[in-house]
Amino acid sequence: MENIAEKNIDTRPIKVEVKNLTKSFGDLLVLDNLNFNIRQNEFVCVVGPTGCGKTTFLNCLTRILEPTSGDLLINGESADPKKHNLSFVFQEPSIFPWATVEKNIACGLEVKRVPKDEIERRVDRILDLMGLRDVRKAYPKDLSVSTAQRVIIGRSFAMQPDLLLMDEPYGQMDIKMRYYLEDEVIRLWKELGSTVVFITHNIEEAVYLAERVLILSNKPAGIKEEVIIDLPHPRDITDPKFIEYRNYITDQIKWW
Amino acid sequence: MFTANKKKSILYRLLMMVLSVSSVILLLAAYRAVALANPLLLPSFDQIGERFVKLFTTPIKGVPLTAHVIASLRRVLIAMGFAWVLGILFGFSIGWSRTLNAIFGTIFELFRPIPPIAWIPIVIMWFGVGEFPKELIVFIGSVIPVVVNTRSGVMYVEKQYTDVARAFGASRFQMLKEVVLPSAIPSIFAGLRTSVSTGWTVVLAAEMLAADRGVGALVMRGWMGNDMALVLISISVIAIIGAILSFTLIKLEKVVCPWMH
Repeated sequence: MENIAEKNIDTRPIKVEVKNLTKSFGDLLVLDNLNFNIRQNEFVCVVGPTGCGKTTFLNCLTRILEPTSGDLLINGESADPKKHNLSFVFQEPSIFPWATVEKNIACGLEVKRVPKDEIERRVDRILDLMGLRDVRKAYPKDLSVSTAQRVIIGRSFAMQPDLLLMDEPYGQMDIKMRYYLEDEVIRLWKELGSTVVFITHNIEEAVYLAERVLILSNKPAGIKEEVIIDLPHPRDITDPKFIEYRNYITDQIKWW
Repeated sequence: MFTANKKKSILYRLLMMVLSVSSVILLLAAYRAVALANPLLLPSFDQIGERFVKLFTTPIKGVPLTAHVIASLRRVLIAMGFAWVLGILFGFSIGWSRTLNAIFGTIFELFRPIPPIAWIPIVIMWFGVGEFPKELIVFIGSVIPVVVNTRSGVMYVEKQYTDVARAFGASRFQMLKEVVLPSAIPSIFAGLRTSVSTGWTVVLAAEMLAADRGVGALVMRGWMGNDMALVLISISVIAIIGAILSFTLIKLEKVVCPWMH
């Protein structure tokens, strides 16, 4: 697979550098010396066996957890949610039930004190891109689970984040809704030029979305391998090359 | 199919309405039957009606029924106003700050299980039988549920909501204003609902012990004078006002938290 990576040399500037990232809880080492870079506007998927520390990994990136050692740099500076624009889509539905759809999308921008007219402009754009205009004044209780999750995704993209982190955002969706939302996330990513780290245990999803897949090893998690998926979007899951990638990554995960 | 369902639901609602109206009628009929059999224990509707009119023509303690109602309501509303404001502030403080909870939370836990009515002797000894001691007892009774619910609403904000705000880089104040406060509001309202019913109960108890005016005083007057019609009228008034208070609160809740209903 390495030779594919060499065919297209990525010239985009480096956005995020993860250096010697290590996290342990007491004696339990969860993340073991992770090193990798993410380029501007890159879409990276992280896959790994269940319970290997994927969520801990993400929580270190957003600084919900402090790494035990090592660091995460954004544009060369140590990541700080107060300084950098980080955005997070959680596994659990995290839509604010007390706010309307448009307020939910705007809330991160309000926290960052983005000017009012700019907030309005960005919220409108997201509502249009996601076809949520009709429900902009609705409260989450009136939305389906998948629409609520789409609002959360819209909220994250509206931030135009330096780094957008998604932790199995489609874990609870049925397969049809997942395909639809996967296409939507690709569309938003292309349209808005965001940098995305997407965590999933679903290998097909990773191959469908990512430009590059990071395979984590079993606990303590380290980076076992990087695979560059050299296929154009939108991808065809029945394409033999797609299946070849999928099988290869599956083998790598199984082979611990 | 859709219209059939709709028709069915209208029919269903009509049936439910007929059922609840007829249950009230049945209750009144049962009352009438018992009252006819035991005129000493239960006054008839005619007697109650006459007594009601007399409440205005020959007022008790010099004031008509409405003045008694207003006296009770005044006590409850003044005391509850303080209980809501102070209770929410205090509950918020001990829910938000571990330090404040360590200092004041334990003291509060010690006082919490004491029934408000048990304070009556002490309060009367200290402050006499004027308006203030009654309001104080109502305050004690209604502040407790407000504090308990506000505190737990603030303490148990769901972690995924605070995580979102933290990832966005929210300051402590923004966290409080944008996440903790709105997510605690339903719980705060649950406390307010309990405080209304507790406050209304406690004011009556206080008035029954020592008061010239108020609905509770009317109940006592009826009891002492073997005037069952007066007791029943007072009880009905208590029920109606209690219902109005909780109805108003439900309306208020719909305005303040439109996302819930």
